[in-house]
Amino acid sequence: MFFRLAAKSLLNRKGSVVLTILAMSVSIFVLLGVEHIRTQTKESFNSTVSGVDLIVGARTGSLNLLLYSVFRIGSPTNNIDWETYQAIADNSRVAWAIPVSLGDSHKGYRVMGTSTDYFKHFSYGNKRQLDFTEGKPFSDLFDVVLGSEVARKLGYSLGDKIVLAHGLGKTSFSLHDDRPFKITGILATTGTPVDQTVHISLQGIEAIHIDWQQGVKMPGSTITTDQLESLALQPKTITAFMLGLNSRMATFRVQRNINNYRKEPLSAILPGVALSELWQMMGLMENTLRLISGLILMAALLGLSAMMLASIREREHEIHLLRVIGASPVFLFLIIEMEALLISLLSILLAVSGLYLSLGLSSDFLAANFSLHMGRSLLSGNKLFFVLLIIGATIIAAALPSFFAYKNARLSR
Amino acid sequence: MTIQLKDVCYSYPDTPGKRVLNINSWAVAAGEQVFVHGPSGGGKSTLLNLLSGMLQADTGEVSVLGQRLDKISSRQRDRFRADHIGYIFQQFNLIPYLDAMDNIALAHQFAKENLSSSLKDDIKSLLSSFHIAPSDWQKPVANLSIGQQQRIAIARAMINKPELLIADEPTSSLDQDNRDHFMSELMAMVAEHNTTLLFVSHDMSLAKYFNRIDALAEINTAGAGH
Ligand SMILES: Nc1ncnc2c1ncn2[C@@H]1O[C@H](COP(=O)(O)OP(=O)(O)OP(=O)(O)O)[C@@H](O)[C@H]1O
Ligand SMILES: [Mg+2]
Repeated sequence: MFFRLAAKSLLNRKGSVVLTILAMSVSIFVLLGVEHIRTQTKESFNSTVSGVDLIVGARTGSLNLLLYSVFRIGSPTNNIDWETYQAIADNSRVAWAIPVSLGDSHKGYRVMGTSTDYFKHFSYGNKRQLDFTEGKPFSDLFDVVLGSEVARKLGYSLGDKIVLAHGLGKTSFSLHDDRPFKITGILATTGTPVDQTVHISLQGIEAIHIDWQQGVKMPGSTITTDQLESLALQPKTITAFMLGLNSRMATFRVQRNINNYRKEPLSAILPGVALSELWQMMGLMENTLRLISGLILMAALLGLSAMMLASIREREHEIHLLRVIGASPVFLFLIIEMEALLISLLSILLAVSGLYLSLGLSSDFLAANFSLHMGRSLLSGNKLFFVLLIIGATIIAAALPSFFAYKNARLSR
Repeated sequence: MTIQLKDVCYSYPDTPGKRVLNINSWAVAAGEQVFVHGPSGGGKSTLLNLLSGMLQADTGEVSVLGQRLDKISSRQRDRFRADHIGYIFQQFNLIPYLDAMDNIALAHQFAKENLSSSLKDDIKSLLSSFHIAPSDWQKPVANLSIGQQQRIAIARAMINKPELLIADEPTSSLDQDNRDHFMSELMAMVAEHNTTLLFVSHDMSLAKYFNRIDALAEINTAGAGH
């Protein structure tokens, strides 16, 4: 009966109640949406690389090195000598090493020259290895392995031939069109920048640049593909490399040794540390977003409070009647709280289903454009906490009108 | 005695200097039907609110059904009212957006004997006895006529079988026909349950239904002063 009274009373005031529910829903939608995107971003962010103990590049800031080597954002300041790479890779503490050579692109997607060790040792997320949905690693000079998004967006399939462009521009005029690559493998989706990467061998990188100088193709190239294959295509420099160590304990010592490497200035970073540094820089924005969504919720709750307060003015007779048939002032306090809670619960329901719907509709878009892979588990962990927080805030916001009803009832005329 | 007042004084808190009620002694015996009349503003409604425990006397003894209302807490008075007193007003007797069944069930909610398994049947037979058609039982009462609403109000007031029924000008919003209907049904109901009835009105034509008629001016000496 208690519940029924509250529900019917709300139904009786459909207009203002619906508007209040809408305002609440929108604000809860924003709050939970921001929270969801925030945690998902952080998660996918932190899972871009795992199992790599050190990333090494030419001396630079650790964020810069992380950004260009892992996120393919920005560009390296300098290259590293191949001899340096080999010297460090041969160190007894090093289990494996993955060379990385950047600088070319294909239709806006970055090309990464590497070795087949990349497919063996690179991992992401919770130590997950790279998987092939189709094909296998490159073995030939002009073989290419595509990230899942590259293949999907550009509609490529195994065996297709593609041409790489010099430089990183989306519409480059200097194409390596004399040396097309054949697609031999397509990777499974990882939710990391790997999906947007075009992988070829280091030798492939060398081969397409062999008759280039200072970024310009020399006219009248005469070297045929067959001749290329017979050449020893040893790269002279690479952009960076990733290291796996035999023992985690040695990480800091190896890092120090690399940072003090005498023949050339180098930087070695721990990906986990650099990632959290990067995330801390985004902390301010994160907190601003949270603050804004919190304020929006507060505005909606104040609206709820105002609506309830106005309704109590209208319901003086009702309150008096309830008192006469024996309702205590506490009952009246509780019934107003109950009405507010019903509004809040309906709003949460509406907001959560709205969020599900819009995430379902936009997940492809987010994945494709921002490489954000949204999980569907909306009400996990801290979002449940937020829901409880909203319910708590509703109880507090409704306390004023409820107290008003209580006081009205006590002084009932 | 169902009602016994002794040296009761009352002024509203916002107007402490203006004494509304000053009753030396007044009593109503069990089973009596009393008609109380008096001019507007004379303090009739105030008296009824004192008897139902909605208001508390400043001084004096207010005893209803042997219970000293001036001696118990406000929570206990709420309970007491729900258990023992039925109340009918001139208007706003029902929650407009609830139907007749819910309105009556709600009144039952606050009373002590809250375990009646046959509540629905009780309500239905009450409504039938007040000539409310079953098709009107589930409509919001705001959609019913004023006559119907006032008769449902009696049903609502009677659902807990109160020993004392208080009616505050319940007929003033009714036309002649509806008033006669209302009065005969009310009187039949009180007679059947041997309920004590305190009926307040300034419409003297209703006095014929009662065996005891009191003028408030004679009970209340507060008005006489000025
Ligand atoms: N809540 C209140 N606060 C202050 N004064 C009040 C209040 N209610 C009534 N009064 C005053 O108390 C006096 C008695 O009012 P009451 O309502 O008891 O009269 P009444 O006999 O029922 O009148 P009516 O026939 O018009 O219903 C009036 O002078 C009125 O102005
Ligand atoms: Mg009155």
